[in-house]
Amino acid sequence: MLNVLMVGAGQCGNRILDAVNREAFGGGKFSKYYSRQKFPSRVETIAVNTAINDLKEMHYTKAKDRIHIPNLHGVGANRIVGKQCFIDNKDLIMRNISERGEFDVGFVITSTSGGTGSSFSPLLIKELKGKYDFPIYSVVVLPFREEGTIYLQNSAFCLKEMYDSGADGIILADNQFLKDVGGDIKSAYDGINNMVAERLLFLLEALDSEMMMVTDLGDFQTVMSGGAGFATIGFAKGDGSNTIRSVIHDSLSPSGLLFSSNVFEEGSRAMIIMRGDRKYMSIDDISSEIDKLASHIGHVFKGVIVRNGELPKVLSVLTLESTSELENLYALAVEAIQIEKDKRERMDIRKEADATFSMIEGLEPQY
Amino acid sequence: MHERSNYCVIEGISKLKKNRIVGYSLLLFFFLILLTGSVSAESKTINTEISASSTSGDGYQINNYVVQITFIRESRAIIDLYELKESGDSIKLDFTTFSDQVATYKVGEGTIVVKEVNTTTSKTLVEIIVTDITVEYQKYIDGGVDRAIYIGEPSLELSKEVDKTSANIGDTIRVTIKAINSGSGTAQRISIDPGFTPGFTFKSTIYSTYPTELPVGTSYTQMYIYEVEAAKGGTFTLSPAIATYSSSVFEDDYTAPSTRPTVTVAEEAIETSNLSFTISQDKTELKRNEKITFTINVENLKDVPASMIKITPIIPNNLTYHSGSEDIDMINEKPIIQKSIFGSRYEGEYKFTFKADKVGANILTVKLTYNNGVEDISQEVTSDMFYVERGKYDFMAEYPIYVYITPVIIIIAIAGWLHWRRSQFRM
Ligand SMILES: Nc1nc2c(ncn2[C@@H]2O[C@H](COP(=O)(O)OP(=O)(O)O)[C@@H](O)[C@H]2O)c(=O)[nH]1
Ligand SMILES: [Mg+2]
Repeated sequence: MLNVLMVGAGQCGNRILDAVNREAFGGGKFSKYYSRQKFPSRVETIAVNTAINDLKEMHYTKAKDRIHIPNLHGVGANRIVGKQCFIDNKDLIMRNISERGEFDVGFVITSTSGGTGSSFSPLLIKELKGKYDFPIYSVVVLPFREEGTIYLQNSAFCLKEMYDSGADGIILADNQFLKDVGGDIKSAYDGINNMVAERLLFLLEALDSEMMMVTDLGDFQTVMSGGAGFATIGFAKGDGSNTIRSVIHDSLSPSGLLFSSNVFEEGSRAMIIMRGDRKYMSIDDISSEIDKLASHIGHVFKGVIVRNGELPKVLSVLTLESTSELENLYALAVEAIQIEKDKRERMDIRKEADATFSMIEGLEPQY
Repeated sequence: MHERSNYCVIEGISKLKKNRIVGYSLLLFFFLILLTGSVSAESKTINTEISASSTSGDGYQINNYVVQITFIRESRAIIDLYELKESGDSIKLDFTTFSDQVATYKVGEGTIVVKEVNTTTSKTLVEIIVTDITVEYQKYIDGGVDRAIYIGEPSLELSKEVDKTSANIGDTIRVTIKAINSGSGTAQRISIDPGFTPGFTFKSTIYSTYPTELPVGTSYTQMYIYEVEAAKGGTFTLSPAIATYSSSVFEDDYTAPSTRPTVTVAEEAIETSNLSFTISQDKTELKRNEKITFTINVENLKDVPASMIKITPIIPNNLTYHSGSEDIDMINEKPIIQKSIFGSRYEGEYKFTFKADKVGANILTVKLTYNNGVEDISQEVTSDMFYVERGKYDFMAEYPIYVYITPVIIIIAIAGWLHWRRSQFRM
C-alpha cells in the first residue's frame, strides 16, 4: 500500500483537493456522513491557504487537514507577497507534513495564475525535495485566457519556478481547454475539479492495485521522467457498446484530455490503464491500440484492472516532448507582461512617480 | 247427624237443659199426683166443628193425625182417626175403646180421645182431647184426610254474609245471618249463636229479634245482623253462626251451622326507608392514564332509618380504582362502602376516582343494597358512557421498551455520528 501525500494550495488547489476527498467518499453530497473514503492507498490530504474563506468552503476535507496561513492583508494575486508569506510560514507547513509519517509519492495541486497557490507550490516542492526522497508531482491548472494579464504572467512565472523547483513532473490541466464542461463559472469549476479528481483517484488505484498486467509507481515515475517534464492525463468511459479500442482512443482525444495536446506528435511516454469487466478487455484490441500509440510515441506502459460487471474505463498518462499550447500561453504571457509594463510606464509618466519606484521597473515582473 | 248429636251434648246444657228440667220436674210432679191416687196427665182439649155431607167430609189435623168426619146419612156421622205417613199415604187407626160416641185411640206414648158432641145436618161438633202429645200443629182440613199434609222435620239452612270481603284494619264489616227452612216441618225454638271470629273486634248488634219459629219457606229470613271491626291483617274464614232449633212432632233437637264467608284484611302498611341513589361523573372523555371521578349520592327519603347499606361499584375492565372517599374500604382489592345505618333523611356523598388504563367506551355500574326495615332492597345506577382515548405517550406503553428505545438510540447515535462527522469537516 502506497503512502500518498496530496497538498492543495490556494483556492483552486483547495477545491480540487476537496473534490478528490469527495470522490473518495463516493461522490454524494452527504456521503461523508455515511461512507468511508475508498482510497486504495493511505492518502493524506492537506489544504493550504491564506484565505480562510476558501478553506471554510471545503466540505469533504477534514478540518485538521486544512492549514490556514494568516497574512494581514492576504496576498491578492501578488506572487511576491505570496512567496514571502510562504517563507515566513514554511515551518508550520513542513511540520504538519512531517507529522504525517513517511510517503511514497506526493502531489501538489494548484492554479498557476492566482497569488497563494502559484507562489507557495514551487517553494513547497523545493522544500519537500530538499527534505524527502519520494517523487513529487505537481498538478497545475492554467487560467482562462481572458482572465487578464496578471493571471497570464503569474502562470508564466509560476510554471517556470515549478519547472525549476525539482518537481518530478508537472501535470497540466487547462481551464481554457476544459471550459466547455459547465455553464456558469461555478459549475464549470466544479466540473473541471471533478474531472481532475476522478483521474487522480483512478491513477492512485492503478498504482496501488493487483493488476492483470501490472503498472506500479516505478512505471509511473519512468513515464513521468520522459519528455520535457510536462504531462497530462486523459480519461474515457465506455458505455458497453463501443470497443475497448475506441475507449482508449477517446481517452487520448481532446474530449478525454485535461490539456490541449496532439498526443501522437507531442507525446513522449505514456501509461494506459484499463479497468472493467473481463469481457471488455480484449487483449488483441488493447494490444493493437497500444501498439499504434507506441509506434508514434516512445514506450507505453499498460495496466489492466479486472472488475466484474463494470463498464470499461481508460486512464492515460502522457508526458509531452513539446507543447504548442504552452508556447501559445507563454506568448500571451509575454504580451501581458509588456502590456502591464506599458501601463505602469504610462502611469509613472502621468504621475511622475518617484524615482525609487521607476528604478525597479524592468528588473522585476510587473503587477 | 253427627253434628247434631254433638251440639246436643254441648248446647243441651244451656237452653234445652232448662226446658228439660222444667219438663222433667212437671213429669215428676204428675207422677207424684198419680202415686197419690188421682190420675192426671198433660192433655189438651180441642173443640171444633167439622163440616161434612153425605158425599164428603172435612177433617182436623193435629200433628200427623187427622180426625175425619164422614156422613152416612143426615145427622149421622162416622168419625175416624187417620195417621199421616211420610210417604203421603194415610192409615185409619183402630180405636182401643169406643162407647157413647167417644172413641179412644192409643197413639205412640199418648192418647187421642175423640168425642162426638153434636151433629147437625151439615156439621159435627167434636171435642178432641190429646194427652201426652205436644200439639205442634193443628189445622182444619177442608176436604178431609186426603188433603192433609204430612208434617215432617224442619231443616234450617243458615247463611252468613258480609258486606265486604276485603278490608283494611280498622274497617267495619257488617255480618248478616239469614235462614231458610228447607225441611218439611216448622223449625221451632230457634236460637242463633252468631259465631264471632277471632281477629275481629265486636262492635254492635244491629238486629237480633229473629223469629224463634220458622215455617217451611222458599226465601231467606233475616235472622241476625252485627258489626265487627277488622283488627289484624290476614285472610280469615269467619266462624259459622249456629242455629239450634227443634220440632215437637219429632222429639229431636237440631243444629245448623251457617256458611263461612272469607274476608281478607290487608296487612297494615309498615313505614319503610327508601334510599335515592344517583351517580354523576366529572367527564365523559379522557385519555388513557388520565383519571375519572364518579360521585355517588345516597339520600334516605324517609324518616325510617335504613340499615346494612352496601355500595359496590362494578368496575369496568378499562378502569382501575385509584382513590376515593374516606368511607371506602378495600375488600379483596375492590373498593366498597359499608354502613350499618343511614338515619332518617341522611344524605351521603361518595367519590370514586379511577384511572383509565385501556382505550374504549364503557360505563360504571354501582350497586346499592340495604334493608329498608322490612326487606332487603337492591338497586343499581349506571353512569353515562365515557370514552377513553389513546394517551399522548400511549405508543410507548403499547410496545415493549426496546421498540421505541431502539430507534431513539439509533437516532441519538446517528445524530452523534453526524455531529462528530460535521465537526471533523468544520473550521
Ligand atoms: N479549475 C479550477 N480553476 C479554478 C478554481 N478556482 C480558481 N480557479 C482558477 O485559479 C485561478 C485563480 O487562482 P486561485 O487558486 O483562486 O488563487 P489563490 O487562491 O490565490 O491561489 C484562476 O485562473 C481561476 O480560473 C477552481 O475551483 N477550479
Ligand atoms: Mg481566488
